[in-house]
Amino acid sequence: MSAASKTGRRETFAILRTALPVTTGGVLGVLFGILAALCTVALLATSAYLITRAAEQPPILYLSMAVVGVRAFALGRAFFRYLERLASHDAAFRQLETVRVDLLRRLIPLAPDGLGRSRRGSLLSSLVSDVDELQNLPLRVLQPLVTSVGVAAIAVWVVAILSPAAAVGLAIALLAAFLIGTLVAARLAASAERSLAPRRAALVDAVLDYLSNLDVLIAYGAEQSGRRTVEAADAALTRALTARAAGVGIAGASLSLFSGLAVAWSLVAGIPAVSTAGSTLSGPALAVIVLVPLAVFEIVASVPLAASAWRQVRSSAERIAKIAPADVPAELPLDGGSAGWAPQPGAPVLELSGVQATWPGAEQPALTVDALRIETGERVLIEGMSGAGKTTLAHVLVRFLEYDGTYLLAGQDVRNLPLESVRGFVGLCEQVPYLFDESIRQNLLFARDTATDAELTDVLDRVGLGQWLVARGGLDSRVGERGALVSGGQAQRIALARALLRDFPVIVLDEPTANVEADLAESLLRDLLGATNDAGRAVILISHADVPASIVDRRIRISHGTLQSVAPQSPL
Amino acid sequence: MKVRPLDPRLLRYAVSARWFLAGGAALGLATTACILAFAWLITECVTGAIEGRGLTELSPYIGILAAVALLRAGLVYAQDLIAARGAAKVKSELRLGVLDAVRRLGPSFLAERNSARVATLLGRGMDALDDYFSKYLPQLILTVIVTPIVVFVVLLSDWVSAVFILVTLPLIPVFMVLIGWATQAVQRKQWSVLGDLSSGFVDTLGGLATLKIFGREFRQVKRMRSITTAYRVQTMRVLRISFLSSFALELAASLSVALVAVSIGLRLVDGSLGLSVGLFVLLLAPEAFLPLRQVGANFHASAEGVAAADDAFALLDDARKIPADATPALDHGALVSGVLSLRDVTVDYGEGAVAAPVSVDFTPGVLTVLAGPSGVGKSSLLAAILGFAPYSGSVSLGGHPISSSATERGWLAWAGQRPSLSMGTIADNVALGSDKVDLGLVGRALQLAAAPELDPDLPVGVGGAGLSGGQAQRVALARAIYRALDRRCAVLLLDEPSSALDHATEARLLDGLAAVARTGIAVVVVSHRQAVIERADSVVRISPRSAVTV
Repeated sequence: MSAASKTGRRETFAILRTALPVTTGGVLGVLFGILAALCTVALLATSAYLITRAAEQPPILYLSMAVVGVRAFALGRAFFRYLERLASHDAAFRQLETVRVDLLRRLIPLAPDGLGRSRRGSLLSSLVSDVDELQNLPLRVLQPLVTSVGVAAIAVWVVAILSPAAAVGLAIALLAAFLIGTLVAARLAASAERSLAPRRAALVDAVLDYLSNLDVLIAYGAEQSGRRTVEAADAALTRALTARAAGVGIAGASLSLFSGLAVAWSLVAGIPAVSTAGSTLSGPALAVIVLVPLAVFEIVASVPLAASAWRQVRSSAERIAKIAPADVPAELPLDGGSAGWAPQPGAPVLELSGVQATWPGAEQPALTVDALRIETGERVLIEGMSGAGKTTLAHVLVRFLEYDGTYLLAGQDVRNLPLESVRGFVGLCEQVPYLFDESIRQNLLFARDTATDAELTDVLDRVGLGQWLVARGGLDSRVGERGALVSGGQAQRIALARALLRDFPVIVLDEPTANVEADLAESLLRDLLGATNDAGRAVILISHADVPASIVDRRIRISHGTLQSVAPQSPL
Repeated sequence: MKVRPLDPRLLRYAVSARWFLAGGAALGLATTACILAFAWLITECVTGAIEGRGLTELSPYIGILAAVALLRAGLVYAQDLIAARGAAKVKSELRLGVLDAVRRLGPSFLAERNSARVATLLGRGMDALDDYFSKYLPQLILTVIVTPIVVFVVLLSDWVSAVFILVTLPLIPVFMVLIGWATQAVQRKQWSVLGDLSSGFVDTLGGLATLKIFGREFRQVKRMRSITTAYRVQTMRVLRISFLSSFALELAASLSVALVAVSIGLRLVDGSLGLSVGLFVLLLAPEAFLPLRQVGANFHASAEGVAAADDAFALLDDARKIPADATPALDHGALVSGVLSLRDVTVDYGEGAVAAPVSVDFTPGVLTVLAGPSGVGKSSLLAAILGFAPYSGSVSLGGHPISSSATERGWLAWAGQRPSLSMGTIADNVALGSDKVDLGLVGRALQLAAAPELDPDLPVGVGGAGLSGGQAQRVALARAIYRALDRRCAVLLLDEPSSALDHATEARLLDGLAAVARTGIAVVVVSHRQAVIERADSVVRISPRSAVTV
């Protein structure tokens, strides 16, 4: 096994460990589970004993214990089962706190650039469902496994007291059912299961392709070929599902078979002991050893489900370990320095020299900057085609990406500064600003939680959203899930409003017009740069589109990852 | 939500479901026979041994018992396979049915709903049906078949026990319904709280970069902890009540077995009942409850599955309401040409028309630019021509009226604002909709779309992944140009074709479009860019009042 996959395994198990509630609640849940299962077995055993003993017509006093037992076990089964569910669910939900917080801590140093550049949205939603899946480890894997093994052991022990031969048969049947139900079925189902996830993803991709391109497909008369792609993906998924069922079904069938065989064996072992002259087994005892296997196998029937739940939980943990590795890639900054904030008077507000930056997993640096100096209050446009390295530069400036070379803020080496101080000085308005599914107020307040409503209204006025705020019904109205109720331009304005509230001395605007209708772009840019027009604030505007020369002081061209200064008077 | 054991729409929209039910019923009958045989054989052996019969005498019974066990295992396996196949079949039937329904409802329907949501419904939403088919429905079938037969056999053997069972059995559904109502009442009260709490985690992860920019990431960890605690407290409040339902189930089933056992025991003591009857009934009593208990236990799985299917059914119902297209469509097989005329066309999505009625002619060989302020309805006008938007007025080509439904228009090539590329190579995308890929024409179309540097064999991922915005836009343009040239289309419609292009590339594209127009095609470009307007042969300005040719 390679070192990499070994680390992967270690991380997977570390994640699984965080999902295990080793708490009073968790232990109680398991205990109640075993008690409930024991009651199930005992109910059938005492009932069988009661009936066969009664047939011998003893004085009724001899039966009163059995009568009480039957009633008590019947009540106990339902009662303990209820307690088990409450305790184990409560424990699992408590553990969810640990799991979520642990994941959040892992993701903090990784976000956003360590999380893959292209499919961030779907990646996160699958991550969230994988985390929720981890709850099944205590609930649907360990709980039934521990209960089954515990009850099976106790049942075999009790049967052994009455008839050792029957006990051996029961133990062998249980073991065989267990092995076939888990290992063999897992082997058969595992390969089908492995192909399930990619086939599901392929189906969703094909469906999305069809739905989101429906207008084009109709206009080009190509709906049929789009539908055929979906059909093919669907057929592939159906094949995998059927193949898995063929494997998993063996587990259920083998349980049913071995339960019957265990009963048959108990009869073979018990009948001679009862019917021969010097009988070593009473009639009621025979009924007990014959019927106990039925009840035990009813409990053990949860093992195959637990096995398949385990496979799902483990692959969820594997995916989490892959997306959120505990080791942060070298291309991302882990910790900053610890120097205090001590700006040098007269130094340029921001200065890069000989800086290179590489994306995690990439071979080549995406950005090389020989020299970049930005003075206090300057407005600089950095223009270039998409893919030229503009966003890389923005992410280096706010320390999302690690760099080689020298990066100075107000004359201080950034490497010596804590990450928070850098981010308190240089603010970024992202290309796709994230809006939280909360009120407009909450979406602004986290930038400065001491701001008054008047300040919030003021800042929205400054970015040109004054009327919009009134139309939307004030600060308490919501922005919708992921800002669904807000247009691309409005989102940029809100992002800038946050940056203004925070009062960053340097603001980086990353492609503010990327998701804005072309004819609105220019007025948006004018509004954004107008709003930042404070004395002393430097603005770095990153754009691939046309920007009117009049609104910036200086233009710098970036192409193929390299910065080149353009003389201020250069023609358009 | 309506609680129905079996949704009739499932049978209407998914034919496989009927086969699944029929197969399940047959297996259910065989299973019942096995249960009865198994109980009878055990009883015979145990009572036989107590009466002093030896192993040799009883061994045929034991042999048959083993055979019945084997048969029963086979039935269990068949049941599992049928369930899995049934679920998969029904899912693909519903999936493709919904796909066709969406096709009938048209792109304007998807514009109102989120296409990602429909995709989720067809992907993970349908997976909720797995539990419904593999756990709930088979048990429902068994309940309908096994329980009555077993109760009847008990009645024949010992009517007192049958009365116990018949009295307790109905308690199970009654309790389930009562507790189900209580759960729903609690759930309704907590619903919005629970929704907020569970989406809080997604929101935090999604906005992590933003939180880092503002130095709020570690404060969020604390908030996450309190959100999750609140989530647990609220969820447990609901679960405490909904677990009561399974408590009632277990209690009714096990108490009834206890009552049967005790009553049989007491009657055995006074000799009014034989051991063989007593043991037989004791073994059968739990079997009468088992399927019903399983139905109850899997009731939630069923509710989720039905809820997911509900959305699909609603879509299918909507699509059934759409009348077949009555307007005589222009035969798109024929080579139609001539002037595309719009007369008093207004587009109304139901919120009032934005633009005044538009009347304009698009002439072959002419490059026309539609200009106007954002939001005035330029794209809506294109949607009307494509049949994607309801409109009033008339659209005709060479004097033939054009149908207003969303079908392929053989005379029209179009590229919208979104590139909408599919998985496949660039060549596959450019030649979309044509039976054979003409590589020479693909190259020429890419050239005309100012993208000669793109390799036609380059693979494109979902949603155009792998291409930059400008590249994707030019591939989409090449796709429209390919079609226009390949099919000799009368009209080429382009919506903001240069929005993601720089000046130099835009100029090359305009050269290409002029060349396309020279082949006798009416080229219509929606754009507000000065460079585009300058190259136009004719400019139509759409204003909120009326359209005037300048």
